[in-house]
Amino acid sequence: MNAPDRYERFVVPEGTKKVSYERDTKIINAASFTIEREDHTVGNILRMQLHRDPNVLFAGYKLPHPLQYKIIVRIHTTSQSSPMQAYNQAINDLDKELDHLKNGFETEMAKHSREF
Amino acid sequence: MDGGMSYQRFPKVKIREMKDDMVKFELRETDASVANALRRVMIAEVPTVAIDLVEIEVNSSVLNDEFIAHRLGLIPLTSDRAMSMRFSRDCDACDGDGQCEFCSVEFHLRAKCLTDQTLDVTSKDLYSSDHTVVPVEFSDPNDPGEQRGIIIVKLRRGQELRLRAIARKGIGKDHAKWSPAATVTFMYEPMIRINEDLMDTLSLEEKRTWIESSPTKVFDLDPVTQQVVVVEPELYTYDDEVIKKADAMGKSGLVEIEAKEDSFIFTVESTGAIKASQLVLNAIEILKQKLDAVRLSDDTVEADDQFGELGAHLRGG
Ligand SMILES: [Zn+2]
Repeated sequence: MNAPDRYERFVVPEGTKKVSYERDTKIINAASFTIEREDHTVGNILRMQLHRDPNVLFAGYKLPHPLQYKIIVRIHTTSQSSPMQAYNQAINDLDKELDHLKNGFETEMAKHSREF
Repeated sequence: MDGGMSYQRFPKVKIREMKDDMVKFELRETDASVANALRRVMIAEVPTVAIDLVEIEVNSSVLNDEFIAHRLGLIPLTSDRAMSMRFSRDCDACDGDGQCEFCSVEFHLRAKCLTDQTLDVTSKDLYSSDHTVVPVEFSDPNDPGEQRGIIIVKLRRGQELRLRAIARKGIGKDHAKWSPAATVTFMYEPMIRINEDLMDTLSLEEKRTWIESSPTKVFDLDPVTQQVVVVEPELYTYDDEVIKKADAMGKSGLVEIEAKEDSFIFTVESTGAIKASQLVLNAIEILKQKLDAVRLSDDTVEADDQFGELGAHLRGG
């Protein structure tokens, strides 16, 4: 009877920020982004997209604990960029990739519907 | 902002087969992270409508109330409207009690057995208050005319079931009953290259035993030329059997097999709640929404500029 609500896994609690970041105190151009209520789905695509950016020296994510519903994305860039810039760039690029994918899939669907 | 810097990819899609409840397509020029994100979203985050609240009025059947409530929850309901519906927990119109047109659909079921013949109570006995949200229709592949319905419980003479149920929008992450996906899988496209020179050194019998070593029918003998040919590369399950067999025969390097890292073959099967092709499109849309939600906005603050968690601690956070 004291089980936590199931939606706690994906609904950001009131007063909590979806995304926050923390700059590394020792390394310049390095930061950790905490994303609340997200998992491998977003963590892994972000990481892989960040790897495509030549200004990104390091990008990785972790799910610290299966019962803590958040991921931490760590980014280290060259002085030509910044972790925040690389992070935004990765999201924009993925968003455009998905737009392209959606159009491609719809075109194919139209082709296949006509065949029947 | 920086001008013209983009590391975007332009994936290619090709649908091989498209039916209402199944779609098979090729996805190329992207990586496994995108393929896997799509798969995960299709299974756990594309919304559907499912029964979530049951009020039993009469139940004299052999199954207890919660057993029946659980079975009702698992019945797939047509959910084309789900993407535009609201989740009950953030519905302003009804304050989340789940009884308004924006976030819920009401169902009624009344059944009583009055004969000596066992009465099957099925999903066809559920009466919906909304004609767009009804139990998915299933037909026997051998008898396509007949709609069978999903059996909820069987009643004998005198037994009765009467209830009211509320269906709500939800996602598979919350409970699997909301998952629109029966199966979603993807595989890497295999690249199979036979070393023809080495293959020519094999006798016909050796060729046959080597072909037989594969658990799936990937290779065969050409009846005319007696050459080993790849007949169905996609049947290869990355089991390495033919490679081990070649090594054991002292013919290492007879075949080279690699997974193309940027080509995927997807198979998507739907429960019937939405069309399989719509499931793919909804997954892309949901993934876009998820990415949008994790963008840094103007009000994103730097967590604790200097001392990190320690700083928050010192300030009583
Ligand atoms: Zn409502």
